Amino acid sequence: MSFNLNNNRNIQRKSKWLLFAVPFILSFSGCKKLFEVPGEKEYISNKISYGTKFFEPILGRTTLMGSFNADNSTQPLTFSIVNARYGDGRPITDFYKTKEVWVWTGAYDGKEKTLEEINSKRKKELRPLLEVRASGQLILWSSATDDLIPARKTDSTNLLQDRRYFDVKVSNIGGEVIIKDLEFRLWRERPYEPSNDFNPYTGKIAITPADFLDPINKLNYIRPSRISNIIGKSTRKELVSNDVVVSIRPFSGGNGHSLRFRFLDKNAVVINPAKFNETKWDQLVHGFNRQTTDEYVQYDVAYPIPLINIPTSYASGGRANVNFSYSRLGFGGIRQVGSIGLDFSIYREGDWEIVFQFRNDNPKFEDE
Amino acid sequence: MKIRTILRVLVCITFLSLSLKAQVKQVTLKGTVIDEGTKQPIPAVSLVNSTTNKAVTFTDGKGHFSAAAPVGSTLIFRYVGYQPYRLKVSTDQLNLTIRLKETNASMDEVVIRGFVARSKEVTTGSSFSVKGDELQDIPVANVEQLLQGKVPGLNIQNNTGAPGFRGTVQLRGLATLAVSNSSNETFLQPTSPLYVIDGIPIDADKASEMGFDLQGPGISPLSLIPQEDVESIEVLRDAQATALYGSRAAYGVIIITTKRGHSQIPRIRYTNNFFVSTPPALRETLGGNDERALKLEQIYGNAKSFADIIRISQTPMLSDSLNSYYNNSTNWQAIFYRKTFNQTHNLAIDGGDQKFNYKANMGYFANKGILKNTGFSRYTLNMNAELRPNDRFRFTTFLSGGIGKQQKGDGLGFLQRGVADNAQSSSLLPGPSFYQSSGGVVKSLETVNDNATRNIRTSIDAEYTLLPGLKIMSTFNYSFSSDIEDTFTPAAANQQFSKVYGFNGRSNSLYNRNMLNYSATFKEKHSIYVSVANDINESRGQTSAIRQERTPNDQFQGPLGFDAFLSKGGGVLTYNRGRLASFWGSASYDFMRKYILDLAYRIDGTSSSGLNNPFSKNPSVGLRWNFGKENWMSHFDWLNSGSIRVSWGKNITPTGSLSSIYGKYNIGGNYNNQQSIGIDFGSIPNPNLQPKTREMYNLGLDFSLFNGKADLNFDTYFSEIKNELYTQNMSNTIGFGNFPSNETGMVNYGYELYFAIRPLSSKNPFKLNLSFNGAWNNNILTRLPEGYNGQNILFAGADGQHTILRVGRNTLSNYLYINQGVYAVDNDVPVDPVTGFRYQTGNQVYKAGDPNIKDVNGDYILDKNDYQITGNSQPLITGGMSASLSYKSVGMNIYGSYTAKRTILNNALASRLSIMNDPFGGKAVISLPDVDMWRKPGDVAKYPYAYDYNRYSIIQPFRYDQTLWQEDGTYLKINNVTVFYTFPKKFAQRLGISNLRVQMSASNIITFSKYSGPNPENVTALGRDLSAGYPNSRDYIFGFNLDL
Repeated sequence: MSFNLNNNRNIQRKSKWLLFAVPFILSFSGCKKLFEVPGEKEYISNKISYGTKFFEPILGRTTLMGSFNADNSTQPLTFSIVNARYGDGRPITDFYKTKEVWVWTGAYDGKEKTLEEINSKRKKELRPLLEVRASGQLILWSSATDDLIPARKTDSTNLLQDRRYFDVKVSNIGGEVIIKDLEFRLWRERPYEPSNDFNPYTGKIAITPADFLDPINKLNYIRPSRISNIIGKSTRKELVSNDVVVSIRPFSGGNGHSLRFRFLDKNAVVINPAKFNETKWDQLVHGFNRQTTDEYVQYDVAYPIPLINIPTSYASGGRANVNFSYSRLGFGGIRQVGSIGLDFSIYREGDWEIVFQFRNDNPKFEDE
Repeated sequence: MKIRTILRVLVCITFLSLSLKAQVKQVTLKGTVIDEGTKQPIPAVSLVNSTTNKAVTFTDGKGHFSAAAPVGSTLIFRYVGYQPYRLKVSTDQLNLTIRLKETNASMDEVVIRGFVARSKEVTTGSSFSVKGDELQDIPVANVEQLLQGKVPGLNIQNNTGAPGFRGTVQLRGLATLAVSNSSNETFLQPTSPLYVIDGIPIDADKASEMGFDLQGPGISPLSLIPQEDVESIEVLRDAQATALYGSRAAYGVIIITTKRGHSQIPRIRYTNNFFVSTPPALRETLGGNDERALKLEQIYGNAKSFADIIRISQTPMLSDSLNSYYNNSTNWQAIFYRKTFNQTHNLAIDGGDQKFNYKANMGYFANKGILKNTGFSRYTLNMNAELRPNDRFRFTTFLSGGIGKQQKGDGLGFLQRGVADNAQSSSLLPGPSFYQSSGGVVKSLETVNDNATRNIRTSIDAEYTLLPGLKIMSTFNYSFSSDIEDTFTPAAANQQFSKVYGFNGRSNSLYNRNMLNYSATFKEKHSIYVSVANDINESRGQTSAIRQERTPNDQFQGPLGFDAFLSKGGGVLTYNRGRLASFWGSASYDFMRKYILDLAYRIDGTSSSGLNNPFSKNPSVGLRWNFGKENWMSHFDWLNSGSIRVSWGKNITPTGSLSSIYGKYNIGGNYNNQQSIGIDFGSIPNPNLQPKTREMYNLGLDFSLFNGKADLNFDTYFSEIKNELYTQNMSNTIGFGNFPSNETGMVNYGYELYFAIRPLSSKNPFKLNLSFNGAWNNNILTRLPEGYNGQNILFAGADGQHTILRVGRNTLSNYLYINQGVYAVDNDVPVDPVTGFRYQTGNQVYKAGDPNIKDVNGDYILDKNDYQITGNSQPLITGGMSASLSYKSVGMNIYGSYTAKRTILNNALASRLSIMNDPFGGKAVISLPDVDMWRKPGDVAKYPYAYDYNRYSIIQPFRYDQTLWQEDGTYLKINNVTVFYTFPKKFAQRLGISNLRVQMSASNIITFSKYSGPNPENVTALGRDLSAGYPNSRDYIFGFNLDL
């Protein structure tokens, strides 16, 4: 009998336990599930877009493109280039080739003392020629050169089968959006700037029709950016920029990363650079191991020039600035400082020389 | 039932078998068990044999019992909620009356439900009561403040020290997503529970109904109720409890009952408090030469160019130290802050008996603010009288009038920007004198600001019993309030021209409620209660203002002689008129007070609901099982009572306005020399607008344990807010600006726990009560209008702290830059592998000593793409605790409250550090040795370098929109400690009085927190710590009560 009662008590004890436990279990098992409260989702706007759908980068230069408007979508977003195709539907594969390219690891500030110091701030990495990064910016690396990616047609046609389309897939945990029909129309490499001495479509020199047999007689020339107080030897008039032609051209015999400056007179005879006696040779370019000969001045440099687009003592506005100057006693005993300068950039690594040729008259270095 | 029958049989058999064994003389006992208090029979009382500890028998439905017991044994009459009664068995007793005493008051407490008093034991809703006695320790302008930490689930943050202003009050979590957002000052629309004072609903948010562009006096009607007159406060938390207050009850209901007369001999009670308010610790600034030296050091150390050094000699404040104009050390903060001495007086008279009783309470309260030129004072008279000539008729009248006077200085009361700015003035400037170096000082101190709110509430309440159990009740209330503000700004404070601002507002409300109730008990087991009722509320209000510029002089303050060209003139600011009409029916059934079912259905019509659906229907249902009354529970000695409650219901609160439903016409330009009136294109009217609805599920458990020595209440709830008014901006091709919609919603769910213990026995002269309560509330946004696709960001200007609403997350999150520390050395700044540029913002690169802000999207530029959702501005856990210890007539009470798991943005520190942004300017400097700040390359620090003034404009090291200021706002506050002593009766009588009690208290004593700002509580409802906020004072109080 008493056994029964105890048994009953056991039931009571159990029920008491349940009494405590049930509400707790109910409540802790998650009201969220019970009442179908929506879970948190990252936000992705369907209005995300690029500022432009059409990109015209120049090959051979590292170009960062695309102003991406995330429309407050939850960052970070994941981007990928999908469905790269020609206008007729053929897939594009050349963008996905990989090649070694310089990437920055430290901050270049223009105060580096050696070439090694510069190179310690960057390293070579194997990268696809075209990438899209987490900010949505498209990167066309300088490793994408004419030989790897065909640029636009030299005859300037733009047929559908040659047009390069691609889509960008943007996603986060909240979902994904595909931005469709972005287009690349690539300019072929222009290894240096100013590049007005060749045709951007063909890469070849455009020759003056009037005198097309003369290989020097281009339709257009690079002219010095600055010229002042340089007096012509025979005309005795101040030379202007049209009197000088600049060539930026590779030379052979360098160490693969050298830059040379040469001066020619109107007869294509070398002018000794030492005649530009006021030139600050050590601060001319961010180069090292200066070799000065009677014919040229040469430096070991790091390409591209300039390395990055920040103002340094060698560069401003995205171009390297060089100035050559000399002084002489001018008419009436006044000291005249003649100078000639160029703002330029060179993108392709190699041995380059920059030649200043006085075409119409030679500068007068002697005192009056 | 089956179990019980089996049990009975078993018990009988056991008893029989025992008696067979014992062979002792049996006697028969017969009688009735009744409740000592109510004299009602108690069914199902168990009679337990003390030697065997087994139940002998139970009383029947009429409380009768009949038992046989051996002589010499002891029978224990045991019933949940009552003290056991021991009966020594000697002879046959056939007409016994056993009176059981209740052990536990909380179960039989009477609570107000739907304007009708009912026993708490048979209510199914969740509520919590606070007795008026617990609200007397500290004199406050607003009795609501004292509820902080006393009611689980009621989150009160006394976040302004401005006298007469309210803090924020939220019951069971956030109930709105309406914020006003500008720069780093973001405010939340207040969603205060509905207050029902003596049966009359009042709107406590009246003061802030115009948002934070506060106009007129900000005196809440609650501030006009003296705490001495409060009998009890009950907080109704779930939808069942609030069901019958539906038309405005979505935020919960707080019922305040004022005192009634209940003494045959008229009583006079006088209460006096004298208190000192002291300002908190103020910002430490450097004075005089220290300031000059620091500024010079700062310039020399961080000058960007030689021009900066030259500028020193052009800045006489820095270079001309011998000039007596700049040779000062003025403590500007001391000019604005002060210690104040205040007093309150309250005289209460009451008397009467059952047939007629009356009460009158006269109160005076004055609190001068710790900021000069601010303060609050209150004069009140509250009276009521109840007439009950016979058992069938009852008639009660209430009359209360109050005048609240307030000075806000030149600020808004809780925001004192003028003071905040001027208190930062350079200590080198001469202090206030005949000559003023800072016009702001005059503005703050000499602006004459007088606010007055005059409030009258009258009501009559009649009740007539037609037939036994059938009652008809009617209540009629009229309240009127007038709000006036006059501000005079003297000429010296306003560029040599005085000006006048006048505000005038009146509002009135008419309320009528009629009820028909029927209650009956059948067969002594089944009780029913049925009620049908309706109420109507009409309220009107209008505010107008006048502003006159360039009044004649400081002596003649107007209204004549102002500059007609510059003056804004006057006119109506707001006009409102609204009606609410409700009809409801409720029914309740209980079986032996064990199984209770409550049903209610209510139809609410409001004039601010859309034309197409003016009525909303709000049902509710509640169930309660007092399992502690089950017989099988009587074996658990430690359990006095236990019950489980389940409820579900819906409530509304009107949110729309007439113009959001009907649209608006506006005066346009002239056409054909005729004034044109056309449609206002600002907003599309929405005739489908619905009131805000709150649907709530609640599950509760109540226990009373160990003979009433411990109480435990637990509630868990899930509430969903739907139809929140949300103004959706329209596309600019639509033609209209925005659209008021209902398409938002959020949920709150959480747990509430209350635990009280009285560990000492009732015979012990020491009495100790300890209580603890806590609430955990989680808030999730569940819906935004369709077009938003689950997210909307409330941008707060360029450098502001943005608020983000995202579905599935806590409703109000911050949208900020993620601060990861400070760059120790330049090389820590990341470099873009593509461009070779350092991480930058606004074309200026970061360097050592700058904040390391996470570049979320990886473009090496800090811009708006790098904002992240972070933090939760609403506290997750709130609660409080109390302890009271007394020995005979000496005692001590301690109240504490806490808030945990909340994100605070320490804008006070942000502005404190960025005060260093201009060493040439006229601001004070602070000494920063205590700040974990970067000072030299290699320092790993939390805060960026403050001294490099050149970096403030672009890098903005102390920008507000970063997580550097995000801190955990967890705090534990000792609200107050009170020591009291009641003089012995004899001593009091010798003085000619019947009772004398003295007490000493201190309030706002200490706050324990890891928060690095001044006070983790003194922040806005969105967790922004404003340096322009009004700090909370610490008060020391001496008071006494005497009864005549």
